[in-house]
Amino acid sequence: MTAPLLQLDALTRTFGGLRAVSEVSFDVMRGEICSVIGPNGAGKTSLFNLISGVLRPTSGRILFDGADITRERPARFASLGIGRTFQNLALFKHGTVVENILVGRHIHTKSSVLESAFFFGRTRAEEIAAREKVEEIVEFLEIEQIRDAVVGQLSYGQQKRVELARALACEPKLLLLDEMVSGMNQEETEDIARFVLDIRDELGITVLMIEHDMRVVMDISDRVQVLNFGQKIAGGTPDQVRNDPAVLDAYLGRRGRPSEPAGSAAHGL
Amino acid sequence: MRSGDFKETYADLIVLSDSRLVWAWAGVLVVALVVAPFVVNAYVLSLLTLVLITVTGALGLNLLTGLTGLISLGHAGFLLLGAYGYAIVVAKHNLHPLLGFLAAGVAPALFAIVVGLPSLRLRGLYLAITTLAFSYIISDLILEAKSITDGARGITVQRPEFFGLDFSSDPSFALLCAFVAAVALFACLNIQRSRIGRAFMAIRDNDIAARTMGVNLQAFKLYAFMTSAFITGIAGALMGIYLSFVSVEGFPFLFSIEALAILIVGGLGSALGAVLGTVFIVLLPEAIRILFSWFGGALESLLSTGVHEVKSIAYGVAIILFLRFEPRGLVGVWRDAKRLWTHWPLKY
Repeated sequence: MTAPLLQLDALTRTFGGLRAVSEVSFDVMRGEICSVIGPNGAGKTSLFNLISGVLRPTSGRILFDGADITRERPARFASLGIGRTFQNLALFKHGTVVENILVGRHIHTKSSVLESAFFFGRTRAEEIAAREKVEEIVEFLEIEQIRDAVVGQLSYGQQKRVELARALACEPKLLLLDEMVSGMNQEETEDIARFVLDIRDELGITVLMIEHDMRVVMDISDRVQVLNFGQKIAGGTPDQVRNDPAVLDAYLGRRGRPSEPAGSAAHGL
Repeated sequence: MRSGDFKETYADLIVLSDSRLVWAWAGVLVVALVVAPFVVNAYVLSLLTLVLITVTGALGLNLLTGLTGLISLGHAGFLLLGAYGYAIVVAKHNLHPLLGFLAAGVAPALFAIVVGLPSLRLRGLYLAITTLAFSYIISDLILEAKSITDGARGITVQRPEFFGLDFSSDPSFALLCAFVAAVALFACLNIQRSRIGRAFMAIRDNDIAARTMGVNLQAFKLYAFMTSAFITGIAGALMGIYLSFVSVEGFPFLFSIEALAILIVGGLGSALGAVLGTVFIVLLPEAIRILFSWFGGALESLLSTGVHEVKSIAYGVAIILFLRFEPRGLVGVWRDAKRLWTHWPLKY
């Protein structure tokens, strides 16, 4: 049995009276593809924001690679090995594709302002190495044709792929993918699913993803965690989750009873 | 039509320009700049010197406002600090002029930390107001710290002389300004193609994503402030030397507006834009003067009585016209022209 890469321990985040994430605990194993699913407003993206340092937890702990990272500075999360994409595109829209991916190399380069201004020695060597790495990723994700295009002018699907490329450029140990295939057609969705498998198998990166496309979730996930109203209501293999009564309740409502959302008390109204 | 674009090494991908033609034209420009001061008349030379000094200052502001997206109305303050830094070290304490230039960069950079720190959480209008207040605080400080700055009396500055080179004549001083502007331009271009410049751009376009990529927002915003202030301060020192007298009145608030106008007219975030914008904005009052002299009479006398007001109005009109009709600035016009030149008669 491999050791867990990420451990969430009673992770909680409240916004005023609203418990967006409430005592969520689960482990993500090394080399696993783990999905987080749940209805809209279930707290999935808030959970991702906690894991990637965008938000600070109200209580609970995050253990990554065996170390407690709950109180780390936000900018440190990338260096620790946590990369992510955003649900709504968060690209640097005036930059080219290559420039965007190069930002992902930030933590792997060290040049100071002065060195950069003169562009000798270390800066030059670092830039060449970074560029080489970027070309590898461009090839891996098959975006050669658009590499010099300005990101703002690309289609939604292409921009999503550039965001994935940027996250990969960080060389994370854990990659958080927030709704990668939303708004994509069948072909693009299949491409992304294939890339996610390749990222795990070829690059050895553990993947934690939020996904609404159930075919993708059930096809490629090793395990699935289900959130509703900020709480984890189920977790396990895709087959276990598919047949879990709590999950069916959350998604379909209860049979024969006036539908009362599960856990409405936790909604904090 | 050109086709195909092949590179054999990764080093080829990061060069400033892979076009021999661009380097050739840059060489021609350098030669022209070296020769021009010795052949043009005194009036054109003064305009040339002013353009070169202003380019340096505009490049400094471009790093902060264009590249990092932090607006500053306080750059007149950094110019002032640079000018006083030089004047105090060289004119008052008779130290080496190079030390003076160092002080002209370091002093504003240190003050940039002071204004940068409270600005870390501010953006847009709030940052504009904070930096505006900063520039007024700087002028008041300089007026009050009489023992260091001679207060309202100002400091007279001589043209520098170092390494056996004498910059006291106008043409040689123009050469010094050209050299500084060229160094500033290369420094900005290099920063733009390195991790620092990309971090600045990332902060401008999406600071949350930038932080997720490991960019320390506080540190890099301060770097942007300090680098910008350093370059602007050098421009301030040159300005002080050019005017041969450094005083608070010599660096009015209008300079901050002029610098912003340059960036908007040239194209925000582009070093080339800063250069084109400077040429446009510095020569704009000259164009107006020529225009008014054609109409003669009342208009000409208006210009002689209210040159400052006419200038302010012209900058304002230029900003509005460019924001409305060409938000990408002159650099956008230049790119369109280039595309047309390459692809004509095809559209793309």
